[in-house]
Amino acid sequence: MPGYYDISDILMEDEAVSVVFHVGANGVGLLDPGTETNSVEKGAKIDLPFWLAHELCRRRAVSITIPSCFGQKMKKDVQADAACVDLGTRYPYFYEFGCKLFPLVGDKSIGPFLRHTFANRYKEMLSKSHTASLNAIPKFVLRLSKEEYQLFEAARSSMVEFKKWRVRDLGLMKTTIVGHKRKTDLH
Amino acid sequence: MAGQTDHSLSIFSAAEVEFIAEDEMIEIVPNIRMDALNLLCGDFGPFVPQIPCTVPLWLAVALKKRGKCSIRTPDWMSVEKLTQVLEAERESPREFQPLPFHYVEISRLLLDHAHDDIPEVYMVRSLIEDIRNVRFHKVESGLETISGRTHAVKLKNLSAMEVNLVRPFMARVLQAFYKHDSPEMVQQADTSASKRPQVVDRGPRRDLRPR
Repeated sequence: MPGYYDISDILMEDEAVSVVFHVGANGVGLLDPGTETNSVEKGAKIDLPFWLAHELCRRRAVSITIPSCFGQKMKKDVQADAACVDLGTRYPYFYEFGCKLFPLVGDKSIGPFLRHTFANRYKEMLSKSHTASLNAIPKFVLRLSKEEYQLFEAARSSMVEFKKWRVRDLGLMKTTIVGHKRKTDLH
Repeated sequence: MAGQTDHSLSIFSAAEVEFIAEDEMIEIVPNIRMDALNLLCGDFGPFVPQIPCTVPLWLAVALKKRGKCSIRTPDWMSVEKLTQVLEAERESPREFQPLPFHYVEISRLLLDHAHDDIPEVYMVRSLIEDIRNVRFHKVESGLETISGRTHAVKLKNLSAMEVNLVRPFMARVLQAFYKHDSPEMVQQADTSASKRPQVVDRGPRRDLRPR
């Protein structure tokens, strides 16, 4: 588990999940925009940030419904082509969120689903991240979740640093090295 | 998830690996007379003109820059040997050929500073580039077969600079796979997640070359 101070963890826990209240709650009518009194009815469906839902779920006051990012539509998308699913803009915290959500929700297929998604996307990422150059940001980077983006950054920065080291003292001799274009190069 | 935001996974920069590589010994032919050098790492010399002797690479490069010696290329850096290695690399798609551990750094230093001492320097340079590219593509294609069960990845005969290149990426990937594959996440044995070709799983170690 990442630490208390981890920024991406804090941001991730701000994602909204839809929950169903098991008990009535007084004084928190703020949470439910459709209520007249200052309280939440039992059985109401509300969107809460994940950190709140997590705690309430532990005390068995609510039950969490699976958000759409792990639902049937997403599963179909992933089966069609995992690498094209746009996790960067829609669900940047896809994997971390899934890992946290998994023990709280009854659906046991989330775990293998996450791993399957990651494994498929990883193979695509592998070659592209190593050949990506410093300036051009390939379009697929925008589709990566935060975690995948860190992998990509690690690979790319080490490649870039190596290339810089290679041509460091050469000056005019650079052209003899930068020769052969391979078909996996991304431009 | 600890370590996902750890930016210090790349432990050595390229320049640091080069620095370590400069400790390798190499043969030079001095053209001046000099007394023995008594250094902490060893004693070298005395240097007599035209008598070859063995010194560390950093010393060789320093003497060469001052025009006091000429460097003899190591055996593995001849055109014939390199061509052989390149052919062998292209033929065996999963094995790496044995090469000196620091061949990238040594060749770069020699090609930079001593290119007049190397016969057919352009040929040598392009051969080494090709060898490096072929090996790196092998590493990449080998990495594709990592599954969730991989605990360690063994790459035999990989050189120092190549290892340093893939180290941060591989470490994070293994961490990510481990996190996703931890026991509370996987309920069934193996059946759910394999839609890609399943490679033979030898248990705790996954070699990137066949035994």
